[in-house]
Amino acid sequence: MDLVRDVLDKQLVDREDCEMGRVDGLVMRIGENSQPRITHIEIGGKTLWMRLHPGIAKLAAKLAGRWGPKRTATVRIPWSHVVATGKEIKLDVEARETGAIDWEIWIARHIIERIPGGGHEEEE
Amino acid sequence: MKKFLQIALGIVTSVGGFLEIGSVTTAAQAGASFGYKLLWAILLGTICLIFLVEMSGRFSAVSKHTIVDATRERFGFPFFSIMLMGMVLVAFLVLVAELGGIGLSLQILTGIGFQWWAIPVSFAVWLVMWKGTFGLIENGVSLLGLVTISFVVAALKLHPDWLGVARGLLPGLEGDQKAKYGFIAVSILGASISPYLMYFYSSGAIEDKWDVTYIPINRVIAILGMSFGGLLSMAVLVAAALAIGPNGVDITRFEQAAQIMTSALPKWGFFLFAVSMLVACLGAALEISLAISYFFAQGFGWNWSESLTPSKDARFCFTYTIIILLAAIPLVLRVDPIKVTMISMALTAATLPLAIVPFLFLMNDPIYLGEHRNGWISNSVVGIVILISFVLAVISIPLQIIGG
Repeated sequence: MDLVRDVLDKQLVDREDCEMGRVDGLVMRIGENSQPRITHIEIGGKTLWMRLHPGIAKLAAKLAGRWGPKRTATVRIPWSHVVATGKEIKLDVEARETGAIDWEIWIARHIIERIPGGGHEEEE
Repeated sequence: MKKFLQIALGIVTSVGGFLEIGSVTTAAQAGASFGYKLLWAILLGTICLIFLVEMSGRFSAVSKHTIVDATRERFGFPFFSIMLMGMVLVAFLVLVAELGGIGLSLQILTGIGFQWWAIPVSFAVWLVMWKGTFGLIENGVSLLGLVTISFVVAALKLHPDWLGVARGLLPGLEGDQKAKYGFIAVSILGASISPYLMYFYSSGAIEDKWDVTYIPINRVIAILGMSFGGLLSMAVLVAAALAIGPNGVDITRFEQAAQIMTSALPKWGFFLFAVSMLVACLGAALEISLAISYFFAQGFGWNWSESLTPSKDARFCFTYTIIILLAAIPLVLRVDPIKVTMISMALTAATLPLAIVPFLFLMNDPIYLGEHRNGWISNSVVGIVILISFVLAVISIPLQIIGG
């Protein structure tokens, strides 16, 4: 598999085919005596902005600290959860449990559902 | 029979959705200033658009990817972010122009200034997005848009000189006023070749679940729909040439543009013009708002569909809510929609390479399209028209600015 062509920036979907962002970054482990191995997929603004410029990442982090969901750690999904790669990358996880769609949920709760006709998330 | 209906509906919606403030203003401006001489620009733009729309539909039908989705995954985030900024900025200006067009239509109907309409109009557009489904926006609004066929009636009733029309279809250089001629030509190309239409069309193909069997339908719709649409633009130019120009008058006010209809149809013309523009701009405003939201959602991997309840694709809905809200601000501040239109159309032409070059790469990529990838004809036609538009834009925009 070609990492940049077939993995990086691909669409991610969870067990229920819910879109949960894209492969924003990849984490590799380099051992002393072993070949490098891809261990995690990273999802989220922090990784993404870092790819453009550290200054933008810093600014984005500052703004996100003021509004939005209170989570600072980057979302990392172990590679072992990858079920299939193809048009999308399917992960054997529940999107809302990983933190990958925290912003989606936050905007739904705090903004969209407060506007009449926005609908309500059914309770789990 | 079902396929036939699909084709018919596809053509009708393409025709009904073709005209918007950009194509009408630029064509009217061209007719008023230069007679039939700039018809070739509409022809060239329409041919290019036919190819691009056909490609957009084919791309999504075969690869099951939208253009934006594939651009992010093929070219990576840094390139995507540059394209995002360019496309969203230009599309935003076009949205301001369309909302302004609705406002101006209401202004000439009611006498109340467009700046007072900005907020109610934005709210109405937002409400259709919020409550409506993709089918409603694609079919309902475009069907209403068929009222714009009245421009053809107006053009025919003014008895154009067909030989002059035919001569205008061949490109020619204008003796004096070269800068203005070039600038209007660029604006026409920008108004015809709108990238947002490609994003909208390719997302629509995914929303309607197209597959490889849709390739022939897609081709027929693109060719017939866009050709008839182009004819509407030409009708506006021809009617403007006969009703207003060619005497170098600049169309700076909406009422002037209304003469296109009123001289041919004295009784109903004014009303028809206002209603045509209202519906055309409304349709375009909806399509652009959707296209901008698609751009963000697909590029960042959010869930998106115009047919979901808002809370199911919160970030998607949040995007168009903010964008529509922001677009009302310049109008409230009385920024002239006609000026915004001319600038945004020229900017569209100038930024075409940013949108189209990566798209041509995708269209030739066997990973996405396999045997259905582009042939040399499609590549050359689109490549050449984009190059012409870009060169014309780079030369004429600075000249226009210097010349005032």
